Amino acid sequence: MIRSVIKTTLPILFGFLPLGIAFGILFQELGYPWYFATLMGICVYAGAAQFMAVGMLGAGVGLFEIAISTFFLNSRHLFYGLALLNSFGAWGLRKFYLIFGLTDETYALMTTITVPKEFNRQRYYFLMTLFSQCYWVLGCSIGALASSSLDFNTEGMDFAATALFTVLLIEQWLKVRKPLPFVVAFSSSCISLIFFFQHMLLAAIVLSITTIIVLRFIKSKKND
Amino acid sequence: MTDISYLLLVMLVMTVATYATRLTPFVLFSRGQERPLLNFIAKNTPPMVMTILVIYMLKGVNYISFEGVYTFIALLVTVVFHLYKRNALLSIIAGTAVYMIAVQM
Repeated sequence: MIRSVIKTTLPILFGFLPLGIAFGILFQELGYPWYFATLMGICVYAGAAQFMAVGMLGAGVGLFEIAISTFFLNSRHLFYGLALLNSFGAWGLRKFYLIFGLTDETYALMTTITVPKEFNRQRYYFLMTLFSQCYWVLGCSIGALASSSLDFNTEGMDFAATALFTVLLIEQWLKVRKPLPFVVAFSSSCISLIFFFQHMLLAAIVLSITTIIVLRFIKSKKND
Repeated sequence: MTDISYLLLVMLVMTVATYATRLTPFVLFSRGQERPLLNFIAKNTPPMVMTILVIYMLKGVNYISFEGVYTFIALLVTVVFHLYKRNALLSIIAGTAVYMIAVQM
């Protein structure tokens, strides 16, 4: 199972490692000991929010403002859980960890791949989540620890995340085979790019879910 | 407040705020109940989110520059590889390699 999970999560490694390193390097400039970057990767575990935190820590922003900003920055996750409500098994420590470790990347993989039949699904998901977080923590630590002595040029490696989402988009198309959700999401994204460039991600998710609900409602009215 | 305790408090606050966003749907909609509208949303969010994530990743690209050209080429490589071989890892490695080579040239 471990080998299969590593193979599945390898794209996440390519995405998380350079991004984590970039975070570590940035964090190091604040002047804290390196292991706080590691700690942040372990307990906060949110890419965009951690980058935002570097700026806020530097400016000494208040805790309340940081809490609100973090919540809004990550609020797209409010919708991620919906597709996985029945996939994480019974309540327990494992489920709490699976929820804790739900990122864009693990969400994208879990909702697209089929877990090989011979493996227990929840255990497979657990290892996927654990490994992904390890990659992230490793990246944060390497970046903070070796910011000045890194030889390997990771520039451009973050394209792995774009490539991963592109591949999963193709897989979603092959699975769903209905243009509606894609068309709705594409139009919502375009509208959100025009009106909410900074918060495009959340705006597009809210807009496309609202649109698809309205469309369903209209359709059921017609059938009455 | 010392610097380290400020940092630790910030981390605590961020941990709670992030976890709250991830935990909320699971607490609001406990499993087992039959909710047609929720199932409908659950079924449609993955294809929609994937579409949005791809566009989101590409929104910062400057399209009237070299960056636009090699982003397009790297994407094309990823898509073509995936349509031919249907091996996710291979497609991602191929696309990323092309992109890295182009950026670092």
